[in-house]
Amino acid sequence: MNNGNEIEIEVKNLNFYYSGGVHALKGISLAVRRNSINAFIGPSGCGKTTLLRCFNRMHDLYPGNRYEGEIIFQGRNILGGDIDLIDLRSRVGMVFQKPTPFPMSIFENVAYGLRLRGIKKRADLSERVERALHHSALWDEVKDKLNESAYRLSGGQQQRLVIARALAVEPEVLLFDEPTSALDPISTAKIEELVVELKKAVTIIIVTHNMQQAARVSDTSGFFMLGELIEIDSTDRIFTTPSNKLTEDYITGRFG
Amino acid sequence: MTALLKGRSPIDLVFASMTALAAFTVCLIMLGVFVSLVRESSLSINKFGAFSFMFSSDWDPVKELFGAAASIFGTAVTTALALFFAVPIGIGIAVFVTEIAPDSLKGTIGAAIELLAAIPSIVYGMWGLFTLAPLMGKTVEPFMQKIFGGIPVVGHLFSGNTTGIDMFTSSVVLSIMVVPFIASVSRDSFNQTPSILKESAYGVGATRWEVIRDVVIPYSKRGVFGGAVLSLGRALGETMAVAFVLGNSKRISLSLFDAASTITVTLANEFTEADTDMYLSALYHLALILFTLSFITLAVAKFFINRKTEEHDR
Repeated sequence: MNNGNEIEIEVKNLNFYYSGGVHALKGISLAVRRNSINAFIGPSGCGKTTLLRCFNRMHDLYPGNRYEGEIIFQGRNILGGDIDLIDLRSRVGMVFQKPTPFPMSIFENVAYGLRLRGIKKRADLSERVERALHHSALWDEVKDKLNESAYRLSGGQQQRLVIARALAVEPEVLLFDEPTSALDPISTAKIEELVVELKKAVTIIIVTHNMQQAARVSDTSGFFMLGELIEIDSTDRIFTTPSNKLTEDYITGRFG
Repeated sequence: MTALLKGRSPIDLVFASMTALAAFTVCLIMLGVFVSLVRESSLSINKFGAFSFMFSSDWDPVKELFGAAASIFGTAVTTALALFFAVPIGIGIAVFVTEIAPDSLKGTIGAAIELLAAIPSIVYGMWGLFTLAPLMGKTVEPFMQKIFGGIPVVGHLFSGNTTGIDMFTSSVVLSIMVVPFIASVSRDSFNQTPSILKESAYGVGATRWEVIRDVVIPYSKRGVFGGAVLSLGRALGETMAVAFVLGNSKRISLSLFDAASTITVTLANEFTEADTDMYLSALYHLALILFTLSFITLAVAKFFINRKTEEHDR
């Protein structure tokens, strides 16, 4: 693995409050290494998705949410007021629980982020779209129907399309928010395979309810509960010899 | 019917029959209205032809020569122009309310839209006659005439005396009346856009405007279109608001600043004067045309509003 030990993102004493005043993240500190896969696990409402959505400042879409602390990405605190959110979000892509193709053709879905960045030349677009679709292992299935509506693809294909769309703008980090929770086992396996493949190019943070999934794909796992980071360590250790009793209870299925 | 009532307790049975009766009454009334419209207009249909009536611009009660073309023309022009004004405004309101306004403002504007829809049309008519028409006739229309009047071809649309009692003013009044419909149906459609879809667009670096343009509006376009057709139906049938400001003239004129008549205005103004059987029958014939037009419009609107959700749900 290239640059195996370089830190891509560092979270320092992060607190997050939703607009109603709910204290959803409490003093989180962790580091994410470049080109690694990091799983966030924990029971519903533990704050793992909330944390994920801090990395691309998705919380800013809704008024009243408040961050405290720092998230250092590429040497800058992305929670600072001087951050260009449009730029940040093209460096930190996101894939959601359900496939979210836009109401346009397969080609245009992937080209969307590129067009927003002012790339207009058909040849450039075609090349980049093809590369992204290869990258997300979807090219062979869609190369003959690039102009068809994205809604005509299956759920698993749609999810890979969405991944291609995120990849097209060449992000450094990809956030996955339970990316397979709406998919069947075969599509899930394909997405997991893809995620492992993608870490050659990007740093991945994945929130999942499925502990086998975390065990299968991730290098590092963080266990969250009630807004706190209970434990973060290599996935092997978390799933074999966790140092915290709560983590052990959770992964052995005693609650959650 | 028997399948509906089988195996129920007596109270249930009574209740079920009552509701069923109420429901079937609707269909019965609908059918009844249609049948009597056809019967009453048979004199006119026999003399002028069911369809050729629609293309004749005669309207001469003395010679008993009637045709619907002038009224249909007025209806078409005022309705189309009203939608031309109202659709962008309605969509604009919906975008603002769903995507831009802070929560505190959403409720206020939403209530204002509903109030606008609740104002009786006669009030719009009076306001149109006493406030809007003089304003249009003395200020707005001469101004437009000055700007557009000189342009070849287009200039014809703005020629003639600017009285304020004309198709243009009527369209403005109509558009104000249908804006609430377009705004509220569009708002409901926009609200159905899943938030993760919008977040995905933000997630690849779209601005708010780009999200609205590329995701929210395309995702809800069927609903918005349905809303527009729904308000088209409303504008087609509107009577009182335009009766005051349209002038009831049976002349087909290309100028928007000329008086005209719509089907509804003709009916409202002339029923009391229809002193011959043929005259009355011709009015019924007009009513039959309006009935059919409204029916088709509503069916189209329903088709689009209902179909929208299926397509995206797979």
